Amino acid sequence: MDHFPTNWGRPKYDGFDTNATYPFHDHGHNQSAAFAGATQHTQQPIVTGTSVLAIKYKDGIMMAADNLASYGSLARFKGVQRLHPIGDYTVVGASGDMSDFQYLQHVLDGLVISEEINAQDGHTLGPAEIHEYLSQVMYSRRSKMNPLWNSLLVGGVKDGQRFLAYVDLLGVTYFASTLATGYGAYIAQPLLRKAVEGRENTLTEPEARGILEEALRVLFYRDARSINQYQIATITANGVDISGSLKLETAWGFAEGIRGYGSQTQ
Amino acid sequence: MPDMSAIVNPQQRQFNPYAENGGTILAIAGADFTVIAGDTRQSEGYSIQTRYAPKVFHLTDRAVLAVNGFAADGNMFVKKVKQRLEWYRHAHAKDMPLRAIARLIQTMLYAQRFFPYYVYNILGGIEEDGTGAVYSFDPVGSYEREACRAAGAAQSLVQPFLDNQIYFKNQTPAQGSSHPAHLPLPDVLSIVIDSFTSATERHIEVGDGLEMYIVLAKGRTLPDAVTTLRPQELPSSAGDGERVFVLKRDLKKD
Amino acid sequence: MSIMEHNGGSVIAMAGKDCVAIASDLRLGAGAMTVALNFEKIFPVTDRIYMGLTGLATDIITLRDRFRYLVNMFTIKESRAIEPSTYAHLVSSTLYSRRFGPYFTEPVLAGLERTPSGGFKPYIAGADLIGCLNFAEDFIVAGTASDKLFGVAEGLWEPDLGPEDLFETISQTLLNAVDRDAYSGWGAIVYIITPEKVITRTLKGRMD
Repeated sequence: MDHFPTNWGRPKYDGFDTNATYPFHDHGHNQSAAFAGATQHTQQPIVTGTSVLAIKYKDGIMMAADNLASYGSLARFKGVQRLHPIGDYTVVGASGDMSDFQYLQHVLDGLVISEEINAQDGHTLGPAEIHEYLSQVMYSRRSKMNPLWNSLLVGGVKDGQRFLAYVDLLGVTYFASTLATGYGAYIAQPLLRKAVEGRENTLTEPEARGILEEALRVLFYRDARSINQYQIATITANGVDISGSLKLETAWGFAEGIRGYGSQTQ
Repeated sequence: MPDMSAIVNPQQRQFNPYAENGGTILAIAGADFTVIAGDTRQSEGYSIQTRYAPKVFHLTDRAVLAVNGFAADGNMFVKKVKQRLEWYRHAHAKDMPLRAIARLIQTMLYAQRFFPYYVYNILGGIEEDGTGAVYSFDPVGSYEREACRAAGAAQSLVQPFLDNQIYFKNQTPAQGSSHPAHLPLPDVLSIVIDSFTSATERHIEVGDGLEMYIVLAKGRTLPDAVTTLRPQELPSSAGDGERVFVLKRDLKKD
Repeated sequence: MSIMEHNGGSVIAMAGKDCVAIASDLRLGAGAMTVALNFEKIFPVTDRIYMGLTGLATDIITLRDRFRYLVNMFTIKESRAIEPSTYAHLVSSTLYSRRFGPYFTEPVLAGLERTPSGGFKPYIAGADLIGCLNFAEDFIVAGTASDKLFGVAEGLWEPDLGPEDLFETISQTLLNAVDRDAYSGWGAIVYIITPEKVITRTLKGRMD
């Protein structure tokens, strides 16, 4: 039991003695900085989303993310959409802090309103413009030492050109035909590269979907902050399509044969 | 004495605004040309983020800038240098001279003295007198003109090799002869390729692709030995001035 | 300040055609201060094996003596000279016996191994401070200038160099690498081991 009410409802800091088993002089101070100054910068992520995956394929870009928003190790929100359409050509997928992502959705939706709806100048925002804008926002926030705690993928198709790029809380950007954030960068990216590199112009939609599903399945088996419900976004010349919540098929029969994994008692 | 550190320094995870994105850059000046090169791998830790992220940028008809270190700062810095060069062009109806770009870069880097751009810059090109020039910078703007310089992850592997092959360090010329002050372009390109091949072999953050920019002084043409490598010429604003070429090749895959 | 860098110094070994070479700098430092310019780090083990030791000077001397003792015991018991490959494993197991309180040295070996047909085969090897062996066919580097040595050696070395070409290659590699290292330099010594003889040459180096 944490006897300090100001800690209640806040995520626990794993490196700190939450059960207050230490001598008095040592505790009650883990949150003291929260209200000490007039402004608090440098936060930490609170409600987080895990990996986002994306690949190039014959008709455009396909992006996938699961529907979980975690609160530390708690699976807190199980129906969150982490793929967000912007304008007519782009999808932004987010991992990291979900409240920062909601803020970014607000900013980007506002951008589309001012640049497309209000201006009515015949110019529309494509994925390249969205990514450039997003990376400038991310970089300027990191330069104020007040980052938006996300790793984002931006994918889209405009004027027959496929676009797939990454940007994170540091403002670091890069482009590749397969991208993955978070744990996906370690677990899914090698699978995606093996399946996609050199085949970007021939992979069909069902093939691309199969590759992403398999990568998501491996992630669900190994990433403890993932869930078996996910969405897939396809961005083609025909526009943006984001699927409903889908369920991953998994097999756990193997567990029976493993001591300590299945239901053996001895 | 009880441990007071938790009270005096409330524990807080400090946000680190920098990252190291690997890679290596290199530039060598000749008598009437300069070669500026960089690999195209971008990494963080043991992960390769992308196999193609250019670190070498074409600024003007006679200036090329290589940027290495924290990729986000690097891209922002190049963006701002290009913007300043465009303003100069609008104000003066000509491109900024190389030595002026070098001083501009110093000023821009030093302006961020207390929150530096975490990047090592190497500027290469042709000086107003038609000579090849290389300027190298530290992250806060200290700079000097040199004949050659390596920077980045494999600087310690490449620079001593360049000392030996470009400056002929520890080599004594034969009786009655002397070392050349500048090497011809094909020799320089061979040394650049060998440097990156070696760095790729022994440094995990170097690899994937190599981009070599060649800046030629006014009125000079590429020797046949270089033309056979099929370099791509970049469009120039004035037809009769300096010319810039790019040579791209793959680095070893394993 | 790391213990491995306290005294400074670097060693390199290279394989050639029917010959091997091993070379080191001559500096002994105490942090940034240079205290001697004649500190040799390469020692003869047999007529055909030389070993270089980089790292903490006191451990270099201890291990030099310790390996001399172990090789003498081997020679007495076996009534023959130890082969380079055998010696490499002697070095490895000696270092590993101090796995949790190691000698702070990285050894480099160069020698000629007797083949079944009676000829000699170049043999070079290196180890880390706890005896993890590294058998390379080209070159082995160690010491405070190791990254520079890797870069230059990778650029200059080629297969099947004769004794004189190998001497030039290893000398240029070492001198240019240590000139970019504050903790190595101040002269160098090179050993070329051929089936007939061992050539020893002392090189002048930059002293600034």
